[in-house]
Amino acid sequence: MTSAGDLIKAIESGSKHLVIRRFTFRYPEQKLKFVGDGYQFDPKRGVGIAGYRGRHILFHDKCTGCQLCAIACEGIAEAIGMVKVDEQWKQNKKAIMPQIDFGKCVFCGLCVDACPFYALFMTNDYELSSFTKEHLIYTPAQLAIKPKYQGDVEIVIDDRGATHG
Amino acid sequence: MTSLEDKFEESKRLGLQIVKESEEDRLMTLSIGPQHPGSGHFRFTIKVDGDYIVYCDPDPGYVHRGEEKMSEYRNFIQNIPHLERPVIHDSTNITYAYSLAVEELVGIEVPRRGQYIRAIASELNRQVYTLYWLAIYGIFLGHSTMFMWPTGDRELFIDLLEALTGARVTHAFNIPGGVRNDTPDGFKDRCIRQVRYFEKRLKEYEDIFYNNPLFRQRTEQVGVLTKEDAIKLGVAGSVLRASGIPYDIRKAEPYDIYNEIDFKVQYMKTGDSFARSYVPFLDMKESCHIIEQLLDKMPQSGEVRAKLQPNPKGPPGEAYRRVESGRGALGYHIISDGTPKPYRVKISVGSFRNMLALPFLLVGQKLADMPSVYWSLNYWPVEADR
Repeated sequence: MTSAGDLIKAIESGSKHLVIRRFTFRYPEQKLKFVGDGYQFDPKRGVGIAGYRGRHILFHDKCTGCQLCAIACEGIAEAIGMVKVDEQWKQNKKAIMPQIDFGKCVFCGLCVDACPFYALFMTNDYELSSFTKEHLIYTPAQLAIKPKYQGDVEIVIDDRGATHG
Repeated sequence: MTSLEDKFEESKRLGLQIVKESEEDRLMTLSIGPQHPGSGHFRFTIKVDGDYIVYCDPDPGYVHRGEEKMSEYRNFIQNIPHLERPVIHDSTNITYAYSLAVEELVGIEVPRRGQYIRAIASELNRQVYTLYWLAIYGIFLGHSTMFMWPTGDRELFIDLLEALTGARVTHAFNIPGGVRNDTPDGFKDRCIRQVRYFEKRLKEYEDIFYNNPLFRQRTEQVGVLTKEDAIKLGVAGSVLRASGIPYDIRKAEPYDIYNEIDFKVQYMKTGDSFARSYVPFLDMKESCHIIEQLLDKMPQSGEVRAKLQPNPKGPPGEAYRRVESGRGALGYHIISDGTPKPYRVKISVGSFRNMLALPFLLVGQKLADMPSVYWSLNYWPVEADR
């Protein structure tokens, strides 16, 4: 069983990879490409739409301040709080909208499943690091901004192996 | 010439405190973990006589999170994100059994396409877990190539799961009633391409690691667990199958659509460290076939999720369902008293049962064989502590 042939075979199979292009890629110059614009939910059909679960996006013209997202988050992360906003919207009489603490959020997306008004979705943005905890709390105004995420790399498989390109 | 006894007597007369060595003094106590990167968050104390381990006392509980108690304060849907924390690398399988049990309690049936997507996600996740385990096993036997390759190839499956579920590790994908979303466009082709490439890579794994004489010398005939002992100790999963018992929950109690899938239960008869590390590898090969079959047989369109209230509740009763996870049988026993929150949740995991075999296998081994026996048990400390 213990033979020199097996040992040579092992070395050969490893040294083959000296000439094959590496599998890793250069983050942050290159970034992964995702499917779609992020996880969304269709309350009419009751099914989600596949996408990356990054930071949330809030549509102010659709939010009614019903607090269902905050109730869904209770017992999971308690990251969503409802805050007063200065804007005047016809559908939002109480003028309250969700504020999300990304220091607590676990990105499960169950708040998106809870929203019946197409107001809260998720985006491809995952680079949320900051120097203070306070900066991780996103106000309704910050959540309304659509992130600029540009992914350019995906797994490519050819005869010589797999690479990111 | 004065003998040792005379010297001892003389030293006593001079008032020197010299104590004779006793049998106990030969033993040295070593503490492995809990901060030791090789043990995970788990400590065990061993006593060595020279190079041989003569005593082993496992001391789990460093990552106990009270998952079972936490489940009693949340409703059936809110339980999902925290229940997958014990094994984030295998999070689809750990919520699979939970979803099956809740579906039995609430009394809903998952649409056929939902069952298929669920099984695909579970098989992909099994690969992610096994590759991660293989990487750790490689680095602790001093084979750093075997750490790099599985960690890199794990990305193939993480990439697929990311496209399907939207998260890289903690998917929160299985929910009572089905799965949360349908597959994205072009998922089938992407999945088949990457799984076929991985099958090719497995041959290279065999060349560099499993057929490597150096690896074989370190694992063959080390820590042998016989068939009878395996049954007595109640080990699960790959450890049980390595001892010559072809038992797999997917075959023994088929759940969802596994009775329509054609696959073989992989097992070996030797029961040593090599068998325990080779059976997960054979499982990975078989898993690739299962994924290809599932993709072929999956209905082209249809519902993936049964309609369910946001706060589901069922009649009072109890349910016990189990699935085959990366570490063996994983079961949930849920008791409901008719309210939206469970009355009691009991998680039964394979990791804990495999850990109980550790003192049995380590005693009589050399200290240098400790990593090869410990990691071959397919033990995940966080899951065992819950």
